Amino acid sequence: MIRHTLLFLVYELRNTFRNPIWPLFGIVQPVVYLLLFGPLVAGAAGQPISAQLTSFAPGMLVITALFGAIGVGYGMLYELRSGVLERIAVSPAWRPSIVLGRTLRDGVVLMLQSVVVIVIALVMGMRASLPGLAIMVVLIAVTGLFSSGIGYGLALSLRDENGMAQIMQFFALPVMLLSGALLPMTLAPEWMRKVAVFNPMYHPVVAGRALFAGNLTDVSIPIAFAVMLVLATLTVTWSVRSLRRIAG
Amino acid sequence: MIIDAHGLRKTFTTRSRKGTQTVEAVRGVDLEVGKGEIFGVLGPNGAGKTTTIRMLATLITPDAGTATVAGHDLLKAPGAVRRNLGYVSQAGGVEESTTPRAQIIMAAKIHSVPDPAGATADVLARFDLTEIADRPGRTLSGGQKRRVAIALGLVHSPPLLFLDEPTTGLDPQNRANLWDRIRQLRELGTSVLLSTHYLDEADALCDRLVIVDHGLVVAEGTPGALKREVADDVVTLRLDEPDRAAETLKPYARETRVDDDVLRVYVDDGEHTLPTLLRALEEQRLALSSIALDRATLDDVFLAKTGRSLRDTGAAA
Ligand SMILES: Nc1ncnc2c1ncn2[C@@H]1O[C@H](COP(=O)(O)OP(=O)(O)OP(=O)(O)O)[C@@H](O)[C@H]1O
Ligand SMILES: [Mg+2]
Repeated sequence: MIRHTLLFLVYELRNTFRNPIWPLFGIVQPVVYLLLFGPLVAGAAGQPISAQLTSFAPGMLVITALFGAIGVGYGMLYELRSGVLERIAVSPAWRPSIVLGRTLRDGVVLMLQSVVVIVIALVMGMRASLPGLAIMVVLIAVTGLFSSGIGYGLALSLRDENGMAQIMQFFALPVMLLSGALLPMTLAPEWMRKVAVFNPMYHPVVAGRALFAGNLTDVSIPIAFAVMLVLATLTVTWSVRSLRRIAG
Repeated sequence: MIIDAHGLRKTFTTRSRKGTQTVEAVRGVDLEVGKGEIFGVLGPNGAGKTTTIRMLATLITPDAGTATVAGHDLLKAPGAVRRNLGYVSQAGGVEESTTPRAQIIMAAKIHSVPDPAGATADVLARFDLTEIADRPGRTLSGGQKRRVAIALGLVHSPPLLFLDEPTTGLDPQNRANLWDRIRQLRELGTSVLLSTHYLDEADALCDRLVIVDHGLVVAEGTPGALKREVADDVVTLRLDEPDRAAETLKPYARETRVDDDVLRVYVDDGEHTLPTLLRALEEQRLALSSIALDRATLDDVFLAKTGRSLRDTGAAA
């Protein structure tokens, strides 16, 4: 079981690094926000960019995880159409390992993407707590498992590019705005702040800000880990179950 | 017996805005495939070939029926069935961005083949793929991709191989080449179940076959026996009064069929019967516009069993 999961993980990682289009594409959006939106936020707040980045960069990591689900879903649909998944399904591979190997790959890739985004922010002058950064990379990996679970689950149960694109388009923008990744929820009216708490992506953004600022005992950190671990377990289970109906 | 299946059934239900639709894809199929046989499933588009193979390959759970595949019960021990199976889907399942070698080594590892790299090199050499083994899948031609797909299904030397429409989309030369390779499998003792909608393929390649239509087996046997059951030869006539001509020729024929202005007369020993037929038509003053004498084909079998020609379904060679 574990052997098959590791086999798939290593194989998929190798493929990803041979042809890293999706992971590179995935960090374009957060990096553009860092370069072209971060300074605006700093200007509006009348702060120097180096100080502003400490609260702005964590949101960019969460955005990377959020939009990663889209690429992940399309990758799975391609494997479904080309018969790759069907071929693997008729093998002695432990069925869940087929999805689990890919999900773990997404977690690893997301950690590397996060490191790149963090390095760019540091180069731009960001000051942040080093242990905080390290813990945030782990939190983002868990967030990535959650969003990969959604990507695979949607791809395997809808099996339709259009349907998947519509659902993701519909949810991605409100989830991003309500997470406070771009502009913090402290600027939001009362009702928005209440709604935001029910947005899963809100929690890693808040926890990320505390971590980057070095407030490692902030209560938002265990809350974010707990929320993400529970949700990741649910969505990954869902995606593994969706694989059962692969050809029928 | 490497496959022994009885009463396999599968009905699909699809929900859409227009309401629920059900398709009876497979309506009770029996298959008995002997060890070492190349066994064909011949039928037009939508006949239920892929659905049948997917059920036997553990991908779809049948609604009804039982099967023993490669010595294991399909429903009770799907894992054991999968270990003894090679499966090449209609889509092929060759990855675009990875090389054939990497893909085949991975398949060998999943099957716990003792020497994955060695087994991969062997199967690549057997299918003349060594030279292109290290190019990304997307750069391969259709025929090369097909061969990689089959190599992927064979690297663990399974006793039973499923090939779903292995030659669809290939040019005649590539098809003949692939037929030879499939025949070689018989020499190695691998049993093969293949589906096809090509009449000539089923005829040239298969030891035995079933003809399926609308989810049912309509005929079963060796290609020779199936054809003999209909007749040795077919005389195809075009004339103005096919019905009267059919009546006239009936005494000399095993069977006659009229489709529009075409009359098919099934006879044994066509070379010697033909002059007799012509004389009979002459006596009745029936004017011919054309006449042809051919050996009976599997299409004639299909026509006899279903009343339709496989060629007319737009699926034939
Ligand atoms: N997953 C599915 N959902 C709904 N209907 C399906 C599904 N798979 C197959 N069918 C239907 O079942 C019938 C048989 O399909 P199948 O793919 O088995 O045919 P086939 O003989 O392989 O045809 P072809 O030569 O075109 O590959 C068709 O009418 C098809 O539309
Ligand atoms: Mg088919």
